[in-house]
Amino acid sequence: MNRSVKDTASEFPAVAGRLNAVPSQSPGYWTLVRKRLMRDPVTLIAAAVLVLIVLSAIFAPLLAPYDPFMGKITQRMKPVGFAGHLLGTDETGRDMLSRLLYGGRLSLTSGIVPVAIALAVGGFLGISAGFFGGPVNSVIMRVTDIFYAFPSILLAIAICGMLGTGLFNTLVSLTLVFIPPIIRISESVTTQVRSLDFVEAARASGARPFALMRYQVLPNVLAPILVYATSLVSLAIILAAGLSFLGLGVSAPAAEWGLMLNSLRQMIYIDPLLAALPGVLIFLTSMCFNLISDGLRSAMDVRLKL
Amino acid sequence: MKFSLKGAVAGLLLGTMLGSGGAWADGGTLRIAMTAADVPTTTGMPNNGFEGMRFLGYTVFEPLIDWDLSDPSKPADLRPGLAESWEVDPADQTRWTFHLRKGVKFHDGSDFNADAVIWNLDRFFDDKSPQFDANGSAITRGRNPLMKSWKKIDDYTVEIDTKYPASYFPYIICYTLIASPAAFAAAGNDWAKFAQAPAGTGPFRITKVTPRVSVELARNDAYWNPARVPKLDKVVLLPMPEATTRLAALRSGQVDWIEVPPPDAIPSLKSAGFNVVTGVYPHDWPWEWDVSEGSPFHDVRVRQAANYAIDRDGLVQMLNGTAIPAKGWYTPDHPLFGHPKNDYTYDPDKARALLKEAGYGPDHPLKAKILTSTSGSGQMQPVQMNEFIQQNLAEVGIDIDLETTEWGTLLVALRNAPGSAPTMGANAINVSFATSDPSWLAKFFHSKNKAPVSSNWGQYSNPEVDAVLDKMELEFDPARRDAYARQVNELITDDAAWLYVVHDMNPRAMTKKVKGFRPAQSWFQDLTSVSME
Amino acid sequence: MLSFTIRRLLQAIPILLGVSILVFLMVQMIPGNALDLMLPSDAPKDLIEKMKAEYGFDKPLWQQYLRWLWMLLHGDLGVSIFDSTPVAATLFDALGNTFVLAIPAAVLGFGLGIFFGVTAALNNGKAADKALSMVSITGVSLPHYWFAIVLVVIFSVELNWLPAQGMQFDTLPSTVEGLKSMVLPVITLSLIPMGVVSRVVRAAVLEVMSQEFVNTLNAKGLWSRSVLGHILKNAAPATLAVMGLQFGYLLGGSILVETVFNWPGSGNLLNLAIFRRDIPVMQGTILVLAAFFVLLNLVVDVAQALIDPRIRR
Repeated sequence: MNRSVKDTASEFPAVAGRLNAVPSQSPGYWTLVRKRLMRDPVTLIAAAVLVLIVLSAIFAPLLAPYDPFMGKITQRMKPVGFAGHLLGTDETGRDMLSRLLYGGRLSLTSGIVPVAIALAVGGFLGISAGFFGGPVNSVIMRVTDIFYAFPSILLAIAICGMLGTGLFNTLVSLTLVFIPPIIRISESVTTQVRSLDFVEAARASGARPFALMRYQVLPNVLAPILVYATSLVSLAIILAAGLSFLGLGVSAPAAEWGLMLNSLRQMIYIDPLLAALPGVLIFLTSMCFNLISDGLRSAMDVRLKL
Repeated sequence: MKFSLKGAVAGLLLGTMLGSGGAWADGGTLRIAMTAADVPTTTGMPNNGFEGMRFLGYTVFEPLIDWDLSDPSKPADLRPGLAESWEVDPADQTRWTFHLRKGVKFHDGSDFNADAVIWNLDRFFDDKSPQFDANGSAITRGRNPLMKSWKKIDDYTVEIDTKYPASYFPYIICYTLIASPAAFAAAGNDWAKFAQAPAGTGPFRITKVTPRVSVELARNDAYWNPARVPKLDKVVLLPMPEATTRLAALRSGQVDWIEVPPPDAIPSLKSAGFNVVTGVYPHDWPWEWDVSEGSPFHDVRVRQAANYAIDRDGLVQMLNGTAIPAKGWYTPDHPLFGHPKNDYTYDPDKARALLKEAGYGPDHPLKAKILTSTSGSGQMQPVQMNEFIQQNLAEVGIDIDLETTEWGTLLVALRNAPGSAPTMGANAINVSFATSDPSWLAKFFHSKNKAPVSSNWGQYSNPEVDAVLDKMELEFDPARRDAYARQVNELITDDAAWLYVVHDMNPRAMTKKVKGFRPAQSWFQDLTSVSME
Repeated sequence: MLSFTIRRLLQAIPILLGVSILVFLMVQMIPGNALDLMLPSDAPKDLIEKMKAEYGFDKPLWQQYLRWLWMLLHGDLGVSIFDSTPVAATLFDALGNTFVLAIPAAVLGFGLGIFFGVTAALNNGKAADKALSMVSITGVSLPHYWFAIVLVVIFSVELNWLPAQGMQFDTLPSTVEGLKSMVLPVITLSLIPMGVVSRVVRAAVLEVMSQEFVNTLNAKGLWSRSVLGHILKNAAPATLAVMGLQFGYLLGGSILVETVFNWPGSGNLLNLAIFRRDIPVMQGTILVLAAFFVLLNLVVDVAQALIDPRIRR
């Protein structure tokens, strides 16, 4: 089934316009991509900031000055810059800096893991649907249509309401939410690639399906799918935080930015700066992923070779 | 702030009209933000728990026996409501006779009499009556499982038989409210339509219902008790489940009164010129722990140790004084508190000693899992407070694994015995409770009421307590019944049947314009004395 | 065109059926139901059983589903367990309140988005493009529910210009106060559509502009209003698709914003139903929102086909 323009656009923020499937194995392609990226200061800065955030989350146990889960109740709600607590303390006297560092672990996990799993599952199903066409395509795509009938946040909330709170359930629900759009994109791109001349030629010359998939199709579809997936990470982070905000996501006493945002919400009239910190980090991280996704897209887009 | 011209003109006109009416025109409008997520049902049997009863139950509808909310200095007790008096038959202690008040009219003008009472009892307790209300019935029956039969003796006398003798029946019948049968007929015999134009006998009548947005009440000038005719002209009730939203609404002048401001916001509210009103009421915020064999809390020494390990004053300080330390089931100054041997002060050394005696120590720490909710009715600041307790217990060597879930899931866990799947392996559940009257003691501490049968989640079983509770149920003399309740409180305190943490003080914040509010020591409050400046 | 429309309509039927099964199963898996919350923990067991029978929860799942489907086909969404009101009436009331916000938010978000997108594309690579790109990327990166609280703090509590919460009118705003109560929620809701649409429009316009005939026209100095018109027409299908999806998102995704502003819309209703385990309300709300989303996709497909006949097959 030939997918129309509509299917490649999406409610998911960063997919702008259609994804073009074009031969990307031409020699020097990746060199070119790298070159373009090196000339794109915005993407480079975003990447640098993101690397910093990721590293600080990974090395949180080394960097954090305090235990993020144990505070001193007498030291609660100290302002940013308070002696001994660089970013203040939260409502039970836990060090904010430590909690924000540790919080990055869960927030990044809930951003990256669901997208990665959805990419593997959805990519596999979507590429299969696009590659084999016919009944395989019909079965996969019709089931996808059903899931696709739910706006993402609605589906995430419904699934989380059903499974209950906790990190694991958040990851499951977000993964389920992202599988359908990835299937759609993958199927669409694969269908386009399959009908391209050089693939047709390979098929005509008697290439076996596996070889065709491995050498002709995969290399050409992975890039656009990957670019799309990076843009979903930002959405995943915001959705995960939103779930925690509604009390459906990661549950206390875990350190997670959305949860911290929620529990500090009442402090907004008392210490706005403190209450804003987790929100700023969610925004910053999500922005970095969006900028990187944009940068990758324009760097990989061969149309710019004109 | 701009005014709409239309509104100003209407206001002027209304002002002139009311002005000519004389004395009753000066009450003003009180706008209250409730914590409920929805407008409680207006059919005379509100949902949304006791908050629903507080604002859309007793304000508009009345029970046969009502709460006396007039004296803020002592725990609220019962007083005659739509029944002027009642008595139990000494020969048959299941038979109660109620003598009804004469001359009372519903808001729609129809008469209150024995037929109305029987009609309402049929509404809740007879599935086959045409006015049967499945939803209201479920709530009422939950609170009143004792009804066996009821009949009219004459126009102003009603007789009710209970399933078994229960001395505290008055504390149970007080949750059954009376609505107007004529208004139900006028609504086409449909409770959903009745909810739009309800009629009770209370001091306020409902004038406008906007589902999920607001309910407006107006003064019932024809109220049967002239002393309790409200001073206010109008009350507007708005559901606002988010604490931050309530705070914003109060601070931006959208409402005059909010229920439960976040404790941390209280100092800033006070300095911004708002009044914060607190008052003790029958509320417990405990851990109900599993005391059965195999549970870490089976050993009474462990339970006492935990009770000694908590810095309740520090916790109260964290809550900005919106709670008082709990040392038993009743508040320490309650007439039924008694004199338990254990006074649970903050004594970590004693706690460590008790734990050591029970065989725990630094090399053999006690581990337990606690389940609580992220929010919920009466839960106060559950996550923050449990984290505080977790810190306290860690200091004496009790290692707490804290699990939070949302309110609905927690209530499901509470219905199931410890160890079953819905309880998620918890050794204790943190759920707050009303402790309005002695009948509740049996629900929580009698061994026949172990979950999943009833509310004794922790499987507490103490033959001595059971015996006293049984005697209490059959003691119809209030003073002697109270003595038994006192004895139970002493026993369950020394036995550390629960981890007693705090009693809520139910903070409310209001503008300085709100006058005359006297917080009763009750879940329910009297708005008739309130006026707006 | 007609056959295309009919074909798409027919395709929607199995999807809707699948959606109904999925919604039903999802809701069934939630632990407990409203009765657990409504009745005290010492409620007699026979009362609980009786209430379960009242709502048909005692029947096997497939029977419950068929009963629900049968009611659905008769336009009946059942009755709320919590307050015995018909779900359909409550839901349509709530949906109306959501639309009151969603439509102006869509107009604002789409309008700004298209304007920003076209302007950015026409200034490709220049400072204006960079600035607008940052604006749109901010729109999609902000946790908008949090941004909403910040707006309330500034405009309601500090400046006292706008109400902090609630819908200050019954169905449609007729007073200044009513309109004022819409300002903050509409702005918050319009952020994401603004960001997404402007990015899509920018990309779509750039793509059309890169096509050779535009370059040829351009080279011949024929750059004119008609060329711009042509570009916009060709960028329209992608834009339309994303706008359709975004409108669906405004309806389904309003849950967070409605929670912050205490707005009595469908998102608020769903949130409440989830926390109360009010199964009929949950089922009805999710189903109607999803059905609306399916229908919206269908309308977008047909509209695209009208603009661009190549899409029809």
